[in-house]
Amino acid sequence: MAAISIIDLVMQFDGFTAVDHVSLDVGEGEFVTLLGPSGCGKTTLLNLISGFLQPTSGRIEIGGKDVVGVPPEARDTAICFQSYALFPHLSVQENLIFGLRQKGTPRTQRNARLEEIVGQVDLGAHLDKLPNQLSGGQQQRVALGRALAVRPFVILFDEPLSNLDAKLREQVRIEIRKIQRDFGLTAIYVTHDQAEALAMSDRIFIMNNGRLEQSGAPEEIYYAPRTRFVADFVGSANILDAEITEELSQGRWHVVTPIGPLEIQSKSAPRAKSLPICWRPETAIAGKEGPNALTGTITHRAFQGHFTDLIVDLGGTSQRLQVLRNAEGEGDKVDFSIMPHDLIFLEPDG
Amino acid sequence: MRQPAPWKLALLLFPGLGLILIFIGAVIYIAVAQSFGYYNLQGESGWTLEFWERTVGRRAYERSVSYSLYVGIVSAVLSVALAYPLALWLRKPFKGSLTVSAILKAPLLIHGIVAAFLFLNVISYHGILNQFLVSLGVFDGPRRLQNDDNAIGLLIMQVWKNMPIALLLLTGAVQAISDDVLRAARDLGAGVWARFRKIIAPLSVSAMQASLIIIFIGALADFTFQTTIGPTNRQSMAQYMDWFKERARWNEAAVVGVTLMVLSLLGSIGLAGAAQLIFRGRRK
Ligand SMILES: Nc1ncnc2c1ncn2[C@@H]1O[C@H](COP(=O)(O)OP(=O)(O)OP(=O)(O)O)[C@@H](O)[C@H]1O
Ligand SMILES: [Mg+2]
Repeated sequence: MAAISIIDLVMQFDGFTAVDHVSLDVGEGEFVTLLGPSGCGKTTLLNLISGFLQPTSGRIEIGGKDVVGVPPEARDTAICFQSYALFPHLSVQENLIFGLRQKGTPRTQRNARLEEIVGQVDLGAHLDKLPNQLSGGQQQRVALGRALAVRPFVILFDEPLSNLDAKLREQVRIEIRKIQRDFGLTAIYVTHDQAEALAMSDRIFIMNNGRLEQSGAPEEIYYAPRTRFVADFVGSANILDAEITEELSQGRWHVVTPIGPLEIQSKSAPRAKSLPICWRPETAIAGKEGPNALTGTITHRAFQGHFTDLIVDLGGTSQRLQVLRNAEGEGDKVDFSIMPHDLIFLEPDG
Repeated sequence: MRQPAPWKLALLLFPGLGLILIFIGAVIYIAVAQSFGYYNLQGESGWTLEFWERTVGRRAYERSVSYSLYVGIVSAVLSVALAYPLALWLRKPFKGSLTVSAILKAPLLIHGIVAAFLFLNVISYHGILNQFLVSLGVFDGPRRLQNDDNAIGLLIMQVWKNMPIALLLLTGAVQAISDDVLRAARDLGAGVWARFRKIIAPLSVSAMQASLIIIFIGALADFTFQTTIGPTNRQSMAQYMDWFKERARWNEAAVVGVTLMVLSLLGSIGLAGAAQLIFRGRRK
């Protein structure tokens, strides 16, 4: 049974559709991410699940029970807010046990739970402090601990790490995942950071304009994007408009693109005669190899440490390449190849 | 910034604070001195506890003290209790919320005595309230509602006049509480009452205390409302003071006056302390 089932959910704000016929299932103990650009409806969907918004239509089931109409305080969910939303007048300890007090958990059990949570989020030295006496990272951990303390059936994260610096963010990401696994929590994590989504999720749901564009494991989303939007939003991609000219053999097609004729090997057949195709910059191979050997002029070069970014001009079309080592500079010619199986058919636009 | 020399600071403060202190000081001094027998306009001036002994022993004194305390405390608590839901309702702007809050604050612009007369008209024997209730069949015939013995009319007017003060103070405090904090509380299982008790009240306790004190002091010393719409079988302290004054018994009036000041102070401390204790609790 799914921990959360969302069935044909619609949310409108006076005529504006923020969530547009979304259906999705989240398994028990699963960690899923809602990924999408700003304004695509992620927070709205989270608010619908936690009960702060009532849907225009559709159903939400938590643990098999229809929860539409159930107020947030009666839903077995807990949110980790982007703003942390700690209670400024309560000590760290009181913040952590706030939910347990509300539930009327007996004192001994409360203390045991507190001890456990304090160990998990490593706040032992700060229990008597007020939130404004803590660093950003510590506040974030209080917010996490406060949500965990009530042992919610579902924990919801709304961009919880966006106020932390890059290093800390990576560290907390790992901590969150570990705690989620240890407790076997079902988690929905909202972010617009694709790297975060790829690194943390069991499954990613990509949202765009209130609609679900694609869902799947991170690898699937990355290597088999279905639409132009997903290919572009997750990782970086070179997207080309292609015209299919010929099916060479089973699973092999010949296409014409602005950078020249290419050969594609794909398990799924193209959906139309003309459609976008894409390839990932890091799949480019230096030198001339296979049927898709190309030559371009480097217009921009950026050293990134473990790889080098090249923007290459091919007859007026720019493509992005990531290569491990590169001796050429801007203005030089470069040879590279794309393997037929690294080219991906996308769905026709519109 | 360099700290200016103390004498410069004193000189700078004098025109404002100095004058205030002189005037307040003079009033308090005269009242206290008079209650102990000095500045006697009738007889010999000099130290005596006679006026205190004579006044405090009277039943009328006791009754006026407890009645004024009752009016002060009930007015303050009711006004604040009524202002909270309104402040919370007006926390987020909505269509027409500005108009609503302007109307709610209108009593601040109307003088108490004017409002009291209007109120008298409404509740009088042949007033519209009586006629309305009779036509509805709630009353068999018109009743005497004015100057009711339980001071209900008076308390209604006190709250009507003072609630806007509490609303003004509480609105700001309540608006300063972030939405996410309230949502977090709700999300963790806090219902309406728990959110008020554990989050809203503690975070606005200073505004609550300020409202309680301002309203309490005003209502404790009420004269206008009491003499127009208050119960005729009761006397407020201000009224009692006036009663002595009419009889040129200045020293006894001063005793009541000093009592009034002391009760203002003690009552304020009491109310503020109670609010702190109930809503803030001891931080642990
Ligand atoms: N209460 C509301 N009234 C009207 N429109 C709203 C309301 N809440 C959200 N919206 C609209 O719904 C859309 C989705 O908003 P939402 O907050 O869900 O975006 P988001 O994906 O969380 O974006 P971000 O990444 O910036 O947080 C936005 O266009 C927003 O303007
Ligand atoms: Mg959001």
